[in-house]
Amino acid sequence: MVIATDIEPQEPPMIEVRDLDFAYGAKLALEDINLKVARHRVTALIGPSGCGKSTLLRCINRMNQRLPGAHIRRGSIRIEGHDIHDPRVSLTLLRQRVGMVFQKSNPFPKSIHDNVAFGLRIAGVSDPVVLDEAVERALRAAALWDELKDRLHQHAHSLSGGQQQRLCIARAVATRPAVLLMDEPCSALDPIATLKIEELLGQLAQEHTVVIVTHNMQQAVRVSHDTAFLHLGRLVEHAPTAQLFDNPQQALTEAYLRGTF
Amino acid sequence: MLTRRVRGSWRGSALTQRLIRSGFAGSASVTIIVLALIMLFLLREGAGFLGTYRRELETYRRCGLEFCDLVDRPLAQQEDLAGSLRRALSSSLEPLIGQARARRDEALRLKREVDQLTQTQREVFEQAQALPAAQAAAALPEATKALSAALKAASAAVVIAPILSAKQATDLRLQLSTQIPGKEQPLALINQLQQEFLRVDKEAKARFEGLQEAIETLEEAPEDLRETLSELKELALAAKEQATLHHTLEEGRQKLLNAAQNARDPKEKAALLKEAEASHSEPPDESALQAQIAELREPLVLHIGAYSAKVDQLALHLPEAEIQLPEAMELLQKTAQALPRHAAAMRASVPELRQWKADAPVHLRSVLGAFFFGTQWLTNSSWQDFFGFLPLLSGSLIIALIAIAMATPLSVAAAIYCNQFASPREREWIKPVIEFIQAIPSVVLGFIGISLLGDLLKDLSQLPMLSWIPGFPIAERLNMFNAGCLLALMAIPTMFSLAEDALNNVPQAYIDASEALGATQLQTIFRVIVPAALSGMGAAVLLGLGRVIGETMVVLLVAGNRIAIPDFSDSVGVVFQPAHTLTGIIAQELGEVSRGSAHWQALFMVGIVLFAISLAVNAMARAMVRRFELPKS
Ligand SMILES: Nc1ncnc2c1ncn2[C@@H]1O[C@H](COP(=O)(O)OP(=O)(O)O)[C@@H](O)[C@H]1O
Ligand SMILES: [Mg+2]
Repeated sequence: MVIATDIEPQEPPMIEVRDLDFAYGAKLALEDINLKVARHRVTALIGPSGCGKSTLLRCINRMNQRLPGAHIRRGSIRIEGHDIHDPRVSLTLLRQRVGMVFQKSNPFPKSIHDNVAFGLRIAGVSDPVVLDEAVERALRAAALWDELKDRLHQHAHSLSGGQQQRLCIARAVATRPAVLLMDEPCSALDPIATLKIEELLGQLAQEHTVVIVTHNMQQAVRVSHDTAFLHLGRLVEHAPTAQLFDNPQQALTEAYLRGTF
Repeated sequence: MLTRRVRGSWRGSALTQRLIRSGFAGSASVTIIVLALIMLFLLREGAGFLGTYRRELETYRRCGLEFCDLVDRPLAQQEDLAGSLRRALSSSLEPLIGQARARRDEALRLKREVDQLTQTQREVFEQAQALPAAQAAAALPEATKALSAALKAASAAVVIAPILSAKQATDLRLQLSTQIPGKEQPLALINQLQQEFLRVDKEAKARFEGLQEAIETLEEAPEDLRETLSELKELALAAKEQATLHHTLEEGRQKLLNAAQNARDPKEKAALLKEAEASHSEPPDESALQAQIAELREPLVLHIGAYSAKVDQLALHLPEAEIQLPEAMELLQKTAQALPRHAAAMRASVPELRQWKADAPVHLRSVLGAFFFGTQWLTNSSWQDFFGFLPLLSGSLIIALIAIAMATPLSVAAAIYCNQFASPREREWIKPVIEFIQAIPSVVLGFIGISLLGDLLKDLSQLPMLSWIPGFPIAERLNMFNAGCLLALMAIPTMFSLAEDALNNVPQAYIDASEALGATQLQTIFRVIVPAALSGMGAAVLLGLGRVIGETMVVLLVAGNRIAIPDFSDSVGVVFQPAHTLTGIIAQELGEVSRGSAHWQALFMVGIVLFAISLAVNAMARAMVRRFELPKS
């Protein structure tokens, strides 16, 4: 791989994964991943169960580093050209730039308002006016404001499943992250709630770069601009969604899409 | 943390499965039945209490004991007041006479010591003296010589405190060495020191004549009142004795009659009936007593009036000018303030005396009130037993609060540390060590409280630099604080384990979410994990409280067992007073009372209330956990 990207005149890609090998202890989970994600695009990660989609996602905000034995063997990950493992990069700042939404909605057992304000509060914001503004903006971004504006101080667990997941999205975007990582955010939701979140993704892409893991092909087609197909820890193909689905370049991709695996 | 071990599914024949099932169901139902039986038993024993206590209180009223107490209770303060005046006097005298007294006492102590050192020789000498003349003549010189030598040696050897001057010391040694019985030289120095002390004492007392006079006035003031009162008391006691006797006989008669009714054999029946007839007794006639009470009522009121007037007068004329010492001054001022209050309390008893009626019924309400709000737990009294619950409850509650106040921060902090910060290796030994505390038998902890902690506290409290702590220096080694400390130690393992569980039960998903938002470990712990575990930790505290209130051995050994409502005038210092507890009183007294007596039943009532408190605390803990239950993750 040529190390030319750094001196390229145009701005660096939002996310850039280079030659990444990642292992859980002795077990290699990702191998030789190279991936560039451009600004304001929705990228879908697809692939069979256990192929390493979540692992890749969690590498991007370093959520894996807490696990004992989990480590990067080779390669690097850059956000806007900055290596996220640079010792000068603070984990707190990285995670404020790279938000995450989990498979199962996990609002804190606090009020709606406190949930959304959490990220700002831990970053040291305490001015109630600033917090209220940020909460409103985040809830609007998650299409929750109209539903919840009169009950901000209710307990978050009083919301429906779909609302809770959108609350988690609001919580993640409240700190205005550049990147939003979503790990199968709809897998526990009913079709209507899923639809709402899918609608939301288009809007979110206007402000954020979104990487979404999904096991649902139709969803990938509906929401993403680009799709990356992983298989057994390797990135098999990465292309604009329409192209990858209509005209896969790799036999493996085609077999997977057709279900003849 | 979140992984659940998958158990291999176990399959057996349907019969074995049914057997195992019913085995478990059986154990559960045995437990529940035993619990129900315990409750039933407690209730059965305690249920009679209200009736028995009501009857006792009725007798107390009918026989005029209550009437006497109307005056006697406020009058009891008079002795305290006289006592504090006496203390003011003696602390004022002390600096004036202390030296002289110490010199005299030192000389007397030395004489005793020399006597002791020469005791053997003295005995030999005395035996020789007692011999018939002929033998005595042979033995005496020898014995005299020995005694004289011993006296010389002893009086040279004793150590004389520097309070005596060098000359006095030599004189004393000389005089002590010549104390051969029969030929003693007068102990001139000791006499001289004694004279000196008496002179100084007299002089000093002369300077506090006013105060002495005040003490005498206060001590003599209620003489007339007391005389009339004790006359009344005697009458009342005699009447009570008769009433009790009648009650006992009547009870026995009823039993015999019952037995007769159930007897099959007509001969046996006749015998029982005859016996019952023999134990028949007339209910005592109390009209004479009531007439006497009515007759003495007005003289009593007059005495009260005269006494209160004297007390008021005294309050105005306390000789404050004589006193210089600050502590004596303080005592005097406090007494001066208390005297008018005492007089007022005495006067307040007059309308009560006038309204009092021997035959007013004792309502069930007031029996309940006398138990639950009674301020006296007084048993085996020659006057009247009272079963008031408050002294015991206050002791139990204060001790429990001390224990919880100490155990909560410790166990919560330990749980947070162990759950969040400790390395797996540390965790491996911290948890067993804390849980090991549970294995210490409570009687051993009691030991520690008596022998170690008590002395330590007392010594600490004597340090001048700690005297700012309210209640210091403490008077009693065994007190509520001491017991509270040990109970805290006992509660820590339970509270720690439960708090740790609560922290463990916080879903990993919350922690993930918090970390993904950029929270540091500390922020995650204190903004997410601890708040989410708060209800569980609250339940831990409540269950700790339940354990502490129910604990018996430590409080019995260490709390000091003084049955009185603690004196809260010293604010937080109240914790250094001794107290008795709900559990301790049962353990201490149940073995000694006669079955079925009011005292016995009262102890069961205490047991019932204790049981109810424990149930309530447990129910609260459960409700707390349920109310804030976290979603299963
Ligand atoms: N915490 C972990 N420890 C060890 N191995 C893991 C861990 N998490 C995932 N793996 C392994 O890494 C591989 C990729 O897992 P994952 O990224 O969760 O797959 P996907 O999300 O695509 O289903 C799997 O083989 C899985 O067993
Ligand atoms: Mg996954």
